[in-house]
Amino acid sequence: MKSYLGKRIVTAVLCVFLALLFNFIIIHAAPGNPIRILAGTDSVNEEMIAELTQKYGLDQPAYIQFFRYVGNLFKGDMGVSIYTGQPVADEIISKLGPTLLLCLTSSIIALILGTLLGIFCARHVGSALDSFLGSISYLFDSTPSFWLGLMLILVFASTLHLFPTAGMFNVRQNAEGFARVVDVLYHLVLPSTALSLTLIPYYFRIARTSVIQVGNEDFITTLRGAGMREDRIYRKYVFRNAILPVVTVFGIQLAYIVSGSAIVEIVFSWPGMGSYMMTAISRRDYPTLMGIYLVISISVAVMMIVVDVVYTYLDPRISRSEGK
Amino acid sequence: MKKNFEKFKQALYGNTQFKVGLVMLAILLFIALFAGVLSPYDPYKLSEDLLVSPSSSHPLGTDNLGRDLLSMLFYGAKVSLLVGTISALIAAVIGTLLGGVAGFFGGKVDMIFGGFINIFMMMPTFFLILIVVALFGSGMLKVMIVIGLTSWVGNAKLMRAQALSIKERTYIKSAESIGESKLKILFRHIIPNGIFPIIANTTMGVASAILTESSLAFLGLGDPNIISWGQIIQNGKSYLLTGWWICVFAGLAIIYTVITFYLLGDGINRILSPKLRSR
Repeated sequence: MKSYLGKRIVTAVLCVFLALLFNFIIIHAAPGNPIRILAGTDSVNEEMIAELTQKYGLDQPAYIQFFRYVGNLFKGDMGVSIYTGQPVADEIISKLGPTLLLCLTSSIIALILGTLLGIFCARHVGSALDSFLGSISYLFDSTPSFWLGLMLILVFASTLHLFPTAGMFNVRQNAEGFARVVDVLYHLVLPSTALSLTLIPYYFRIARTSVIQVGNEDFITTLRGAGMREDRIYRKYVFRNAILPVVTVFGIQLAYIVSGSAIVEIVFSWPGMGSYMMTAISRRDYPTLMGIYLVISISVAVMMIVVDVVYTYLDPRISRSEGK
Repeated sequence: MKKNFEKFKQALYGNTQFKVGLVMLAILLFIALFAGVLSPYDPYKLSEDLLVSPSSSHPLGTDNLGRDLLSMLFYGAKVSLLVGTISALIAAVIGTLLGGVAGFFGGKVDMIFGGFINIFMMMPTFFLILIVVALFGSGMLKVMIVIGLTSWVGNAKLMRAQALSIKERTYIKSAESIGESKLKILFRHIIPNGIFPIIANTTMGVASAILTESSLAFLGLGDPNIISWGQIIQNGKSYLLTGWWICVFAGLAIIYTVITFYLLGDGINRILSPKLRSR
């Protein structure tokens, strides 16, 4: 187990490093000079450009820039945004909160609803509801999340006026304390609905398949043959075994959700990483882009390791065979 | 190989998902191929009928520039199919080669190739695509290549597993013993015999490539010179209230196409794994 974990960590570190390098190369090979964008279009003189270029270290050879960047990372410094002049780390932290709020809410809703529906269908395979939910899951799986978001806005915000169309809180009201929490939750309803609706099919399908599979195993048949009540078999034996893949998928999905939620954030003008990323792209804010990408690849890498560890912990069969 | 394929074909015809998908694909291909004939208007032609709601002269209405939406959707089908298929094929070729080499050669080669596959698996690819397309420009060809280059990991994993199991079979051993070269075995025996899961996965890959392309276009990062469904939605989102039909119908077109490929891929998958077949 230990050596296995070590191997995973090495892979993860390598992955983050490579992701960073990839990203660096792409950004530096790209046409377009951020300094020119920063300097604006009117009254640009070459002196100013040279000065700014030097200030941001862009006059150095690329590999020196890269190693300087990585070196600074170890000191906890992710550079400053070329556009706003603020430290990238601070900006990212301020955007991370809204993104995590949106992502976690949607993932947990999707996990619970999807799994419950999946379990229900697995116990009633072939019923009308089972095939109906099966088709619906296909449908939502094929629906682009941004379109779903737009449709929710069209129906529930623009037409029925039940929910706000955009943002995370009412700027004019500027509520404090409990009222603010309610306000944020109120704004959270539509984006998290859009996001969880696209996630539910995964959980639904995994849970359904997994429960069916475990339900057909020999030891379950034996229990049935011994006369144990069906409810008890499911509650005590089937679910416990069937929940493993669901947990894995939850972890993997959490790892990727920050990038998955980006587009929903943009549709709802949710002030998180996704909107931040799009702004950084349009401004060619290189340090910010590098920083966002770094945070995302680290979170993916860490989640993958966590999933592995949790999985081995939940399923003793795996740790035993790894321990050999 | 040939016998396998015949059996495979037989099974396909008995699978409902696959059959439904096939019919849906036929309709789609028909529309894409004959977009020029079927379209009531030139989709690029601006007119003075701005934001006309669906009516007999414009079955799906017009957009804010007076273009006929139905014609735009017909032309968009071409783009979606092209981008989806080519990206998925690029991913299939890369994945098959990398996975095949890793699994078949094993040892140190597997350590390097397999390691690379594992590392790439953890890359947040959508952001990578976003950055590349945003910074390098967004011609359709570029979009296809970038999506293809970033979505091969699933194929590589499948092919590696296939190669690992196939190389232990007797006929591979005997081919080795009569002195066939390694590369020949890889291309003649391992890849053709292990390709079925890749076919299923690539079919699904078309669906996800179409989704990725439409997301890019929706973010304003698509090819500005061609009509694509994502771009129609991006353009229509400012007219959500005054011209709901723009976004609604373009989205339905995307969903229809993605479902088509999911059904086909899922159908092939079910046939390949007998465990799933009964369900």
